[in-house]
Amino acid sequence: MKKMTVNFMVNGESVSVEVKPYETLLETLREQLHLTGAKEACGTGACGSCTVILNSIPVRSCLVLTPEVDGMEVTTIEGLKVDGKLHPLQETFMEKGAIQCGFCTSGMILTAKALLDRQKKPSKEQIIRTVSSNTCRCTGYKKIIEAVTAASRKTERE
Amino acid sequence: MILPGFAYARPKTVRTAIALHNGSQGQAVYLAGGTDLVPRLKYRLVNPTVVIDLKGIQTLTSIIPGRRFLKIGANVTLHDLKNHPAVRENYPALYQSLDATSCETLQMRGTIAGNVLQNTRCLFYNKPDEWRKAKGYCLKMGGPACNAVKGAKMCFANYAGDNAPALITLNAEVKLSGIDGERQMPLEAIFSGKSDLPYTIKPGEILTHILIPGGKTKGDYLKLRVRGSIDYPLVGAAVSLVNERGRVAVGAVGSKPLCFDFDASEAGWVDRIAREVSDAVRPVANTVLSPAYRKKMAGTLVKRIARKLAEENR
Repeated sequence: MKKMTVNFMVNGESVSVEVKPYETLLETLREQLHLTGAKEACGTGACGSCTVILNSIPVRSCLVLTPEVDGMEVTTIEGLKVDGKLHPLQETFMEKGAIQCGFCTSGMILTAKALLDRQKKPSKEQIIRTVSSNTCRCTGYKKIIEAVTAASRKTERE
Repeated sequence: MILPGFAYARPKTVRTAIALHNGSQGQAVYLAGGTDLVPRLKYRLVNPTVVIDLKGIQTLTSIIPGRRFLKIGANVTLHDLKNHPAVRENYPALYQSLDATSCETLQMRGTIAGNVLQNTRCLFYNKPDEWRKAKGYCLKMGGPACNAVKGAKMCFANYAGDNAPALITLNAEVKLSGIDGERQMPLEAIFSGKSDLPYTIKPGEILTHILIPGGKTKGDYLKLRVRGSIDYPLVGAAVSLVNERGRVAVGAVGSKPLCFDFDASEAGWVDRIAREVSDAVRPVANTVLSPAYRKKMAGTLVKRIARKLAEENR
């Protein structure tokens, strides 16, 4: 199958990649751009461990074909740190112990970031609703919810 | 999981998309949100030579409130539709079914037409190719027999969309565009009643718009599922009421949503409609819950909604 050239932004930098038309965004990010923060688990969109932000919307990158993102803007976990400073969510996830094995963490943080970007102070119910899009088999979600709540307070203060 | 090889096209108009499909000798599939299609591709349940992405068609992305209908473009995401004031105010059954669909992230990617036109599902069909090969292909894969019901010569896969039942209770219509032009029909008419080939839509035809008659309704949608956070329905019941005329549609218990009409001014309608639904549905052992339980729950879900509506009407 003929390869295609796809141009898009990743974490604020423009990239141009040659991909097979049936390559997923997750494969491109991990294997061509070496951004391995997004993880593959189920591969069918159920678990959310491959979540990245596409034009401010969280998406399962295992369900997105790379040609679909031509001209769009992708944010991965690697793009959250600004000038050496971690994103409030990254800090509160560490402070609250919301990470155990860590496999779901990048997807969980990006899903939560997309929520905080569109809603400054979400209710606890809304936070639960949002993070339930992603599967975590370790924490039981309590500390994740605490971490997102704490991050929403932090970002509100800033 | 690696995708099979195919070409990718992103047309800008409905007409070009249809022409591309027409030129593929029936080997093309349409892609919208991809939340149903991409897993099917990965499982080799569908093996196209070209995937035609409809997201580049701008005319399919808006919700237009009109005098007679709320006109919804095919590419409107479930999340955007759920948050539209007309849906929140006028169509509670649809609001609830959208809210109950999958999880929030997938609602932001999945489109309304893609959700309505998702393929039927079965515990023995939605599996990786190796699994199905080892078991022996079922009827829906062109194999000799059904793997869910021993000896059956027909397919029993369930239509597991959440939103079509709600839309049917609202008497929604669909607009289709194909090589022979446009046509409009009631939503329930797109279902063939056959689980292996669930739609009457012609090859290459595109569902471009969904039209819901205007005006306020009462209603609700309840679904039986194992995990509250995600999951397809194992029974999905929608009820809508316009004045005293009511409609029930039950999904995930066969090839298409089953419809029932009732008159809410008659005494004893709550128990009667619940019993009628429970008697009529015939689930088989092709989900993670037993058919007997699902049959009972179909009536129970309808009764729960009907009771609530009867209270509101009092």
